[in-house]
Amino acid sequence: MPNLLEVRDLSKRFTSAGGPFRKARSMHAVNGVSFDLPEGRVIGVVGESGCGKSTLARLILRLIEPSSGTVAFDGDDLLAKSPSQMRKLRARMQMVFQDPYSAIDPRYTLTRAVAEPFEVQGVKPARPMAEEVAELLEMVGLNPGLASSYPHQISGGQKQRVGIARALALRPSLLVLDEPTASLDVSVQAQIIGLLEDLRTELGLTYLFISHDLSLVKYFCDEILVMYLGRVVEALPDTAAPARHPYTRTLMESTFEPDPKKRRLIAPLEGEVPSPFDLPPGCAFADRCPQASALCRTETPALSSETGHAVACHHPL
Amino acid sequence: MLSVRDLGVAFGAVEPLSGVSFSVDKGETIGIVGESGSGKSLTAMSVMGLLPLIGGRITGGRIVFDGQDLTSLPERAYRKLRGGRIGLITQNPMTSLDPLQKIGPQVDDVARLHLGMNANEARARTEEILGTLRIPEPALICDRYPHQMSGGMKQRIVIAMALAADPDVLIADEPTTALDVTVQAQIIRLLDDLVKQRDLALVLITHDMSVVAQTCDKVVVMYAGRAVEYGPVETIFDRPRHPYTQALIACIPRGLDDTARLTGIEGTVPTVINYPKGCPFHPRCTRAEAICATDPPDFSVEGDSAAACHFAEVADAQSA
Amino acid sequence: MKVSSMTARTLDTFARMSIGRAFASGIGMVAGGFLILLVLVAIFAPWIAPFDYAAQNLMNANAPPGWPHLLGTDEFGRDVLSRVIFGARTSLSVSATAIAISMAAGMTLGAAAGYFGGVFERAVMTVVDLTWSFPDILIALIFVAIIGPGLTSTTFAIAIAYLAQFTRLTRAQIVRLKRETFIEATINLGAKPSHILLRHLMPNAIAPVIVVGMLAIGDGIVLEATLGFFGLGAQPPTPSWGAMMSSGTAQLFLSPWVIIFPGVAVAVTVIAVNLFGDELIRALDIRDRLRGA
Repeated sequence: MPNLLEVRDLSKRFTSAGGPFRKARSMHAVNGVSFDLPEGRVIGVVGESGCGKSTLARLILRLIEPSSGTVAFDGDDLLAKSPSQMRKLRARMQMVFQDPYSAIDPRYTLTRAVAEPFEVQGVKPARPMAEEVAELLEMVGLNPGLASSYPHQISGGQKQRVGIARALALRPSLLVLDEPTASLDVSVQAQIIGLLEDLRTELGLTYLFISHDLSLVKYFCDEILVMYLGRVVEALPDTAAPARHPYTRTLMESTFEPDPKKRRLIAPLEGEVPSPFDLPPGCAFADRCPQASALCRTETPALSSETGHAVACHHPL
Repeated sequence: MLSVRDLGVAFGAVEPLSGVSFSVDKGETIGIVGESGSGKSLTAMSVMGLLPLIGGRITGGRIVFDGQDLTSLPERAYRKLRGGRIGLITQNPMTSLDPLQKIGPQVDDVARLHLGMNANEARARTEEILGTLRIPEPALICDRYPHQMSGGMKQRIVIAMALAADPDVLIADEPTTALDVTVQAQIIRLLDDLVKQRDLALVLITHDMSVVAQTCDKVVVMYAGRAVEYGPVETIFDRPRHPYTQALIACIPRGLDDTARLTGIEGTVPTVINYPKGCPFHPRCTRAEAICATDPPDFSVEGDSAAACHFAEVADAQSA
Repeated sequence: MKVSSMTARTLDTFARMSIGRAFASGIGMVAGGFLILLVLVAIFAPWIAPFDYAAQNLMNANAPPGWPHLLGTDEFGRDVLSRVIFGARTSLSVSATAIAISMAAGMTLGAAAGYFGGVFERAVMTVVDLTWSFPDILIALIFVAIIGPGLTSTTFAIAIAYLAQFTRLTRAQIVRLKRETFIEATINLGAKPSHILLRHLMPNAIAPVIVVGMLAIGDGIVLEATLGFFGLGAQPPTPSWGAMMSSGTAQLFLSPWVIIFPGVAVAVTVIAVNLFGDELIRALDIRDRLRGA
């Protein structure tokens, strides 16, 4: 399968200006991220808060301008596009957002919200708009009778379905899912995940799935990128692959199994994710890593792959 | 140590909680698990005697702590228990910490208030507790403000405050929900150790079945303001008899161990104003029949566990 | 039957609209009712007023309230009631026009500043804040110096005096709304800035601005009266509540009704505007959004 998305060395540096009473600070929210997303595959990006996974999603869709690097969508360099070319292109790359509660304009009925993509892109659907909207609502498992409701009249899970209907209205090829179930109840999360799986096969979609939940990513994705402080530290080629980076192992061990017979005596990782501002040189994980050597504190390991299983560690497991 | 029998709570005419029962002993952890609006946090507030604060009242049942019925306890006596022999850990540590005060004095206050210690004794105790919570350099931390610490560290301080008065019961309301997984693992491990070392009775309120599976001895599953099933943790996970418990477990992705498709539960979680009649789960239940919509089911007891379902026996037969 | 059910339905729709809800409480009903009455009086002044507001009758100057001059006459023998009724016209139209101009300008500037940000935002806000730091009277004096005394100066002075408030409020709303997920989602659909601004940001920002505008009309009436009192506003013989009070000061003890009745008109109107504004804030549930702007 050809690559729908090719991300090369993508970085975003945020700086805060200094002043008389504070010094200028900068952080690399995303630092040199590269990967390919072949058509029809699902890549999961997993990491803890502040690892840059949400920023990465926005850089790829150019909702935030990258500091450096390139993004090619279907062979097209996105960063070379003019604003109006970019607006046209957005029809093909959509996003489902984390917070369904604020993802729909509170003054819009569901009909208006789902019809908005057509209005914005100046596209006239083949059918009358009302039929098109009803069809889209049904596709995401919503009763078309809800079409005249306002967002505050429906539940969180239903709002997320509306968000998905809006994203799919223009039949995109790429869907970036930014923690689409993080603010939903478990029973509703499972519904939404099931729906996304169905839609994927039905419409031949390609997903980039951002999540903090490793078990969910393992369940849902084909490949997994593990991020820590702005960098991809490991790229698992499939969900069964064992961890090679010490951080990935910690993440796996910290993820609880829903089975009381599989209680693990985890030796929890001490310390916490350091501040992303003005990171010292070397591997960002070195301070918490049981394997860390002097080399880890001076030289940042590059993501390298000999076996198709890339890891950024001087002493991989 | 703490036992709740048939607890009911009302706000005016709405009754968001009814028929909730559980008990917990020293050295034991009980998990109260449910989705949003199931009444699990309200259960915690009832035990803490905080209902009047939010305009609620207990309409029935008993809350017995150390042989004493708390439902009729006057506020003055409650104040001694609350934060003293019964400690509370909330989801958001900032609701328990004063942003304008240093950590040391905040934790000291608990011991001074409940144990009558003087300032020096209290500080020594604070530092000792912070040490047992694996907080590096307790003396240094005492001199910091809450905003200078990470979320995980703040949650440890809140745990320290709950422990400072040497409680018998600890109620933890979603203590790790706001934290990252690696930090969650640390905090859960810590609570686990504390239960064993200090012989605490821990009531762990959570929405996360995996956390329950990893830490609890007993479980109460709540749905729409009612307990729908309770029992030892192994029984609940191995042979759940209530359709809701079964569905809830089926909703958890298990990564590689189980490639079965996640199904979810049809419909939406009911809110207080539209709790269904009869069995609260019947509109979403695949096994519901006419009786479920009209009659609230009684608990069908089997050994240590019980499920409130008209067809609990059928579920037994199926799983056997 | 059919008509009454239709009326009932119209009333029902009105009651469910947020502005309709402000009439739901006792205070809202009385204050809102008074304001509607006042507007009607101002519109139909020529038909309601018992006398010509400019007709002098020096023989009957300073007559106390009685028949036929219900509220008495002033030092030229003009009917005070008629002048108060026509004064409502002046006060309401000047204040409402000024506030409308101010709101339109303030919303445009505030929305642009909030949406585009950066240097443009800083420039706009600096200028706008500067107008806020001048006393209202001083602004009015500047206009009087440029275009001479009269209602045009008064209108512009009031408009400038409230510009900062509307600009700041609108900007604050826009900045807050810009962070909402639905804005990012709409940008990601490929929407142009004009679509974001006109279809999402402005419609969501407008409610608190309207309420503040409503309240500002009350303040505008006071400001108009003040300028009139100093002779900077309406020029004789145009009746204005402020100018009437000013002329009444000379006979404060001789014929107090000349100053009392326009004064009462100003006070009652301003109180009604404020009470109704409070009800509106409650009905629209926007108390939080008015803070910090």
